[in-house]
Amino acid sequence: MQIVNIVLSGLGGQGILFMTKVMAQAALNKGLKTMGAETHGMAQRGGSVISHLRFGEVEGSLVRTGTAHFLLALEENEAYRNIPFLAKGGKLYVNASPQSFVRQEVNRYLEKMEIVYRAIMAEKIATELGTPMSSNLALLGFFSAFEKDLVTHKQLRDAINQVTPSRFKESNFKVFDAGFEMGAR
Amino acid sequence: MMKRKDIFLGNGAVALGLVEAGCQMVTSYPGTPSSEILPEVVRLVKSEGLNTYIEWSTNEKVALDNAFAAAIAGKRAACFMKQVGLNVAADSLMSAAYLGTVGGLVIVSCDDPGPHSSQTEQDTRLMARLAKVPVLDPSNPKEAREMARLAMELSEEFRIPVILRPAIRVCHARQALSWGPLKNNAGKASFEKDPGRWAATPRFRFILHGELNEKLRRIAHRFEDLAAHNFHDLAPGEKYSLGIIAGGVPYAVVRDILTEENRKDIPVLKIGAPYPFPESLADSFMSACEKVLVLEETDTVMEYFLRDRKKVLGRLSGHVPSEGELVPGVVYSLVNKALKDLDLPHFRGGRNQEVLDLVASLDLPVRRPTLCAGCPHRASFFAIRKARPKAIFTSDIGCYTLGLNLGGVDTCLDMGAAITMASGFYHAFDQDQVTQPIVATIGDSTFFHSGTAGLLNAVYNDARFILVILDNEITAMTGMQPTPGLGIRADGSKGKAISLERVVAGCGVDFIEVVDPYDVKVMTGLLKKANKYINEPTGGIAVIIARHPCVIAYPREAITEIKSVRVTDDCTECNFCLERFECPALYHDVELGRTNINQALCVHCGVCLQVCPKGAIVEA
Repeated sequence: MQIVNIVLSGLGGQGILFMTKVMAQAALNKGLKTMGAETHGMAQRGGSVISHLRFGEVEGSLVRTGTAHFLLALEENEAYRNIPFLAKGGKLYVNASPQSFVRQEVNRYLEKMEIVYRAIMAEKIATELGTPMSSNLALLGFFSAFEKDLVTHKQLRDAINQVTPSRFKESNFKVFDAGFEMGAR
Repeated sequence: MMKRKDIFLGNGAVALGLVEAGCQMVTSYPGTPSSEILPEVVRLVKSEGLNTYIEWSTNEKVALDNAFAAAIAGKRAACFMKQVGLNVAADSLMSAAYLGTVGGLVIVSCDDPGPHSSQTEQDTRLMARLAKVPVLDPSNPKEAREMARLAMELSEEFRIPVILRPAIRVCHARQALSWGPLKNNAGKASFEKDPGRWAATPRFRFILHGELNEKLRRIAHRFEDLAAHNFHDLAPGEKYSLGIIAGGVPYAVVRDILTEENRKDIPVLKIGAPYPFPESLADSFMSACEKVLVLEETDTVMEYFLRDRKKVLGRLSGHVPSEGELVPGVVYSLVNKALKDLDLPHFRGGRNQEVLDLVASLDLPVRRPTLCAGCPHRASFFAIRKARPKAIFTSDIGCYTLGLNLGGVDTCLDMGAAITMASGFYHAFDQDQVTQPIVATIGDSTFFHSGTAGLLNAVYNDARFILVILDNEITAMTGMQPTPGLGIRADGSKGKAISLERVVAGCGVDFIEVVDPYDVKVMTGLLKKANKYINEPTGGIAVIIARHPCVIAYPREAITEIKSVRVTDDCTECNFCLERFECPALYHDVELGRTNINQALCVHCGVCLQVCPKGAIVEA
């Protein structure tokens, strides 16, 4: 199959590692070869955190700038910061207000590069459901409403089931499904 | 039976390889990017019901010595550390190379090109060369697992410690691996006394050095034919304008780039076992190429071993940067530049200056790491700066290095240097009859790691400073490993808890006070009392143990009383709290024209109630 490159970005503590784990597990379940790279250590204390995820026949775990098919960002500024990763025709999913995203000057570049962006207020959804720290799952659910060819909503849901400790399962599914419904509308 | 397939972290792949190799003892001191190897061993051992002995050691030298003893008792043993941890264990490593082993001894030392979470970008392969022990350099988790097994086998066969050095992009990569049932290694411990070897005097060390050199010659021969990890794709008889020699992560990166660009005209020599260097293999590759680009992290190792220097494009020729990580974008440019310089067909993609300029023009906020909301260290640093504003603040390695943001950290050298540098500063100023206040801060785990030697030295030599041990009852930065103070061992079983107070008293300190740093007033008062003590003729070093559980590891124990806070209109936007307290939950609210609390981030510790000079932060 063709190689798929994904970059996930956000701030330490937002659950980037968990989101990476879910996507990697879903891909594995689907029978895809997966390779990923994560940020651990000091940056996890609130600094910029980035994960790379690659599906297909690859040797290395890092996505080269200009070659990412997808960028998922849990924070608006981290989305802007990592735009150089996106390839022409790539797709950007971001936790931000659809009204205010995207900045004019960035929009010009995205249009030129035929990059599609979709914003969702993931943090607001998660907060309203009583788990403000689960915006990662809301964004992932939103993503799954559009990118069925990569991994389906069900495949991601099964992966969440596999990697979530049992006491968080119910709340994780709630946020994930809410994100999905927002996207499916 | 279908084999299980799971996604392993690179560090988990190392753990898997070692357990598969029948490793009977593992020891480690945590440090990014090595910290997850030992917990992964714990996970495998528990899931398969193995009897592997596992310990978090107090430091890397202790870890290596313990594993070494098991290895000369005929067992298979391994120890794990980060690259700067190997410096701590260097004394042990150099000697262990001469003495050799009976069973297997694998030292996993994880490198951090970048650096992402380390003081230096040092290259473990150079330490292997210095110690004269073989080193293996995996490109991805799959190879790390294979090499972990190989390292153990080589070690036992040649009776020599073997180093495995995965770099951070291997340690923290994720890859799906199949694995089957694991079983206990039935080998029993047996120590054959041989003082001529195990306690060799210098005259015998000379003989052992000769033995070591002979082992290396034999291993070098083995590495020439180690086809799984040292190989090239030259077509027989073919000549090439440019070839690439690469190892470790840069190999994986350049392989992917050549595949994407469909460049079959550029052969690659992959060196997974770089020391002892497979010279004949490299020679035969070099002779087929007019020029050779060398890609290795982080230092020059292979490049030094290549005999025909005139052909080489690398760090010594200025073609490859001598610092920083060789990420795909950089490797792409390096290969492309070599192609252009040699007038060969080059790649069409590359650096997109437009988007880089665009991002730069957005003026995005720099996200520096910061102490967590509710972190007891923040409270400690706030009290320290308040009580001793003119002091030199020597500090150490851990989460609390982030006290930098609070103006509470002036130095950070290596593990334990908060104390040793405090005594050094004291004597440097005292010599000039200058009374320079000094406050040292060190975490509990770092203190157990290498605080005691410095502290008893400082006491013995009558240095005067305040030492604050930031005791959050965990090794937090590296991912919440237990400390000796906790009395919980690596596998979760009960160990004997070591009392910090008793250790400090044992170092000869007479002033020892324990305080909860959440009470800023009490801590500030204690710091003033300590200051008086260190300046008395009969005084000495004052130690304050600031004890409060880590808010991430123990949220319930850390926040025993929920204190909801709000900011009143008395706030004058002086930003004192934002700059001096820097809690992630405090922010400047432009609409309200005052500081505000982000309720999603606030953990209700209530420490900020003691911070505002205008009294504008109050209980809600």
